[in-house]
Amino acid sequence: MKISYNWLKKYIPIKLSVEEFCDKLTMFGLEVEEIINLEEKFENIVIGKIISISKHPNSDHLSTCLVDIAEKEPLSVICGAPNVGKNQTVVLAKIGAKIGEIEVKKVKLRGIKSFGMICSEKELGLSENHSGIMILDEKFNAGEPISKALNLADNIIEVEVTPNRPDLLGMIGLAREIGVMIDEKYSKPKIKFQESSQLTSDAISIEIKNPKLCPRYCCRIVRNVTIKSSPDWLQQRLRAIGLRSINNVVDVTNFVLMEYGQPLHAFDYDKISGKKIIVRTAKNNEQIELLDEENYKLKQDNLVIADAEKPIALAGIMGGMSSCISPKTKDIVLECAHFEPKNIRTTSYLMNLESDSSHRFERGTNPNGLEEIIDRAAQLIQQVAGGEICKNIVDVYPKKISPQKIFLRTKRVNDILNINLKSEKIKSFLQKFEFTISEKNNDFEVTIPTFRPDIEREIDLIEEIARRYGYQNITSTASIPQIENRQKRLTLRAIKNHLVKLGFFEVCNLSFSGTDVFEKLNLSNSDFRRETADMKNPLGEQFSILRTTLIPDLLRNVATNLSYKFEDFKLFEMNNVYFKKDEKSFLEKTFLTGTITGKFNSEYWNVHPDKPSFFDVKGVVESILEILHIPKITNYVKSTEPYFVKEQSADLIFGDEKIGSFGVLSDKILSKFEIKTFTLLFDIDLTKLLKHISQDEIVYSEVIKFPPVLRDIALISAQNISVSEIEKTIKSLNSEIIRSVSLFDVYAGKQIEKGHRSLAFRITFQSEKSTLTDNFVDKLFDKIVRKLSSDYKIKLRKK
Amino acid sequence: MTLKSEIENILNQARKDISSCKNLSDLENLKVKFLGRKSRFSELLKRIGKLSSEERPIIGKLLNKSKSEIENIIEKRRNSFENTVNNSEHTFDITMPGRPIEIGAKHPVFQVWEEIEDIFISMGFEIAEGPEIENEYNNFDALNTPEWHPARNLQDTLYLKNGMLLRTHTSPVQIRVMKNFKPPIKIISPGRCYRNDKPDASHLPVFHQFEALVVDVGITFADLKSTLDSFVKRFFGEKIRSRFRPHFFPFTEPSAEIDMLCINCHGKGCKLCKNSGWLEMGGAGMVDPAVLENVKFDSEKYTGFAFGLGIDRITMLRYGISDIRTLFKNDLRFLKQFV
Ligand SMILES: [Zn+2]
Repeated sequence: MKISYNWLKKYIPIKLSVEEFCDKLTMFGLEVEEIINLEEKFENIVIGKIISISKHPNSDHLSTCLVDIAEKEPLSVICGAPNVGKNQTVVLAKIGAKIGEIEVKKVKLRGIKSFGMICSEKELGLSENHSGIMILDEKFNAGEPISKALNLADNIIEVEVTPNRPDLLGMIGLAREIGVMIDEKYSKPKIKFQESSQLTSDAISIEIKNPKLCPRYCCRIVRNVTIKSSPDWLQQRLRAIGLRSINNVVDVTNFVLMEYGQPLHAFDYDKISGKKIIVRTAKNNEQIELLDEENYKLKQDNLVIADAEKPIALAGIMGGMSSCISPKTKDIVLECAHFEPKNIRTTSYLMNLESDSSHRFERGTNPNGLEEIIDRAAQLIQQVAGGEICKNIVDVYPKKISPQKIFLRTKRVNDILNINLKSEKIKSFLQKFEFTISEKNNDFEVTIPTFRPDIEREIDLIEEIARRYGYQNITSTASIPQIENRQKRLTLRAIKNHLVKLGFFEVCNLSFSGTDVFEKLNLSNSDFRRETADMKNPLGEQFSILRTTLIPDLLRNVATNLSYKFEDFKLFEMNNVYFKKDEKSFLEKTFLTGTITGKFNSEYWNVHPDKPSFFDVKGVVESILEILHIPKITNYVKSTEPYFVKEQSADLIFGDEKIGSFGVLSDKILSKFEIKTFTLLFDIDLTKLLKHISQDEIVYSEVIKFPPVLRDIALISAQNISVSEIEKTIKSLNSEIIRSVSLFDVYAGKQIEKGHRSLAFRITFQSEKSTLTDNFVDKLFDKIVRKLSSDYKIKLRKK
Repeated sequence: MTLKSEIENILNQARKDISSCKNLSDLENLKVKFLGRKSRFSELLKRIGKLSSEERPIIGKLLNKSKSEIENIIEKRRNSFENTVNNSEHTFDITMPGRPIEIGAKHPVFQVWEEIEDIFISMGFEIAEGPEIENEYNNFDALNTPEWHPARNLQDTLYLKNGMLLRTHTSPVQIRVMKNFKPPIKIISPGRCYRNDKPDASHLPVFHQFEALVVDVGITFADLKSTLDSFVKRFFGEKIRSRFRPHFFPFTEPSAEIDMLCINCHGKGCKLCKNSGWLEMGGAGMVDPAVLENVKFDSEKYTGFAFGLGIDRITMLRYGISDIRTLFKNDLRFLKQFV
């Protein structure tokens, strides 16, 4: 809902800046969505007077206007509105002004320059009216800023009112709520007027046929009014919150709607047939033309306001055309009623009709207090339209809706909120909300006024107390300690899941070992794995130490399974190993060790895997690093582990630290474990690896919308130049554009010079900023060729 | 015949033969015939060196061009055969196995371990861990174990040469957590534990267990029962009840042994439960105030419960494994059942 800060302050004194005030509102449960400073919004928008007007020579619907804005010379402005005319007082947006999001600029329209813009109400955000430009009273002075002329120096606060709080859909309800929030008294308007001697009940009769759907109907009659446009103050109030001014009587009903949150309607008394108002459900196939100038076919469950002959309004939603206030209207009937929310909601939904009125009725208005509201409307109508107010309200209210009573326990309040409020404090809070209280041994019987349909149970009252107390003032209990290393747990699981998907089986061996395994693995005497934790009372020789490596057990598992005639299989173990740190303490680390025996995938009718190689195990290791998002600071160097084939093994290095190793197990080692099948091994220190996992997970970057350019390059290079060196060199030439360099073919042998090999790479070029031209890529490609040639004597392979 | 016309002839013959060939194996034979090492083409290629310098490039070019043409028409013919194979209802056998995707499996003990973790995480617990090599204080003293308790013997507990020991339960993790954190504490600590047992069908020197510990204001024996009951039901199914029998543990008071309804006979009595209808699961109880005081918690303000269950035992029960050693033989015939 839009609130005018100036208007609101008429009902309650607020000494806060608009920002402070809005922060408080938000923390109180009324979320502020936007604050619009109208003075800023209307900068460079002024009153203009149209001095002369002529047809645009090149257009039928455009006019060229000379507009006086009290500057040296009048401005020439082109306008396309149908209602533009000479001597009008209009609103002119100068160059630099902002209309919504658009800045007004000097433009040429069909060959003629325009130095500004004449605005409609909609363009100014003052109403939804866009039928033509806004035409003002001639009393305004040219050049005056409209924020001043129209008294718009205001802040408009857009507040989200939750659907359970219909009482906040009006200024007075808001002022009451804000009063609770900032501990201030609010005030209602003073209502005073003279009534004529004619009784309202003599002029009109009211019958409610369906009191369930319309529990109450009040009306008043004002005779001899003059329908004209509203005075400025009234227009300004409505305009500030985006409502269009229609005429003085209709504007008053809208004003009171916004003031009290209670919809009202005014009928032309003379058009009410039989001088009788009947609230009833519609007859089948009855029709009505509503104020939106559309015809509606009614159904039996639609509630209507009817006269003796026909429906004259769709109850609670919209008035009918036939009885609407027109310039000729003399006498008016004011309606102020209460309708059952559900029926309004259903009708509004089914007819796809929404209005400020239905918005409030379907949320539940206050059935009591209508007298005050209808009197307020009558008083204002008399004030702005003259006339005599007939005596008394005709008020049909067959079954009074009484306030509910709720029992509230002080202890319960404190238990739920974990605070310690004394009963007097609770009492004072409740009174601020205008609840009536009778105290019973520190507890309360609370009478809920009918304007608060949302309060139905004790817990609803506790919520009100909590809001007044301030959520921020409730101290949270002891925080729950973070005990576990969640990232470690998730990472280890992720690795296991990954290996399982690659076809690995997890094994689990016991923690003990004999000391003979070190010889079997060919470990040197200074190898760190010989720093063992020794058992005092071992179960036997093979249980004499705690294992420092998972490799021997895993190789035993390989041998066992080979003996069961499994040929190609992959195993891994993730478990702790234990080292002696010093005489008193030990180090426990988690290792991941895996084997690939035979081929990576088994032979099958449509699968003919290549001979297994070092690169199979390297691929597995690389994929583990990839799922852990470990940046490519990884370095591979020839492994120093004694159990691998020397040339076909690597150590994994991060910075200066060795994290693990992998490669082809040597025949010598395999035979010690009685394995006759080609076997690859990886062995990773997870405790070390985990330290290198970046906390910030996946970094998303927008997909590049420009297409990549792919180029293949075939090179003849000396054997001793590593592929990674070549890749790095290529990338280094333009790391922003060269996205990837991937090796897709290697060949050595016939046709290739001895000591050389042929390498084919696919290079992907892509820019974030533009589509790359062939010319650009060609140049970069040449640069790559030259660089490789000069630095490494690498040549392009001739086709 | 000039070289040129000879090449022309070979080409024509190849066109004719390839287009009239009937099946893939004939096509393979034709490929050998026209392009193989003993083909006329290969012979001609060898002869190129002997040609005059004017003739050499012309004939070379022609030979290459013709060779690639033959390759092309063979390829086209092959494609046409393969398409008819694909379209033919008679030769396309959808019952042949799909391309195999080899999937491994986690070890069953770890599968159960993860499932237990997940159940407790969903009940608001955190996972805590600690070292397997412990000191006597954390493993026994802090847990109120009297000096004379047989669990401390060399016959029961595995010691290291320097006097430290291999933890006999994950309770030392509880001590470590309570020393470092204030309540509310709500953890399970799964892990590897040890005892001095010679391997047999029901014992191994290594076993896996988890313990739950909850310490806060107002924790009661009823909370212990409901937590354990909820776990057993979530893991084994709605019908499996648990019961508590009085027992003695140094670190809990009152202490209890936990039984659950036999998952095999649901209480009627069978071989698995030795006709009792119940299976012994582990120990439980309210944390002894002395243990709370050892970690400097106010035992008047805070109360807590703890229980411990064997992960290996739960695994064996779930899958009906009778010999614990089966779990750790790492035999693929066993492991492949847990994909
Ligand atoms: Zn049984």
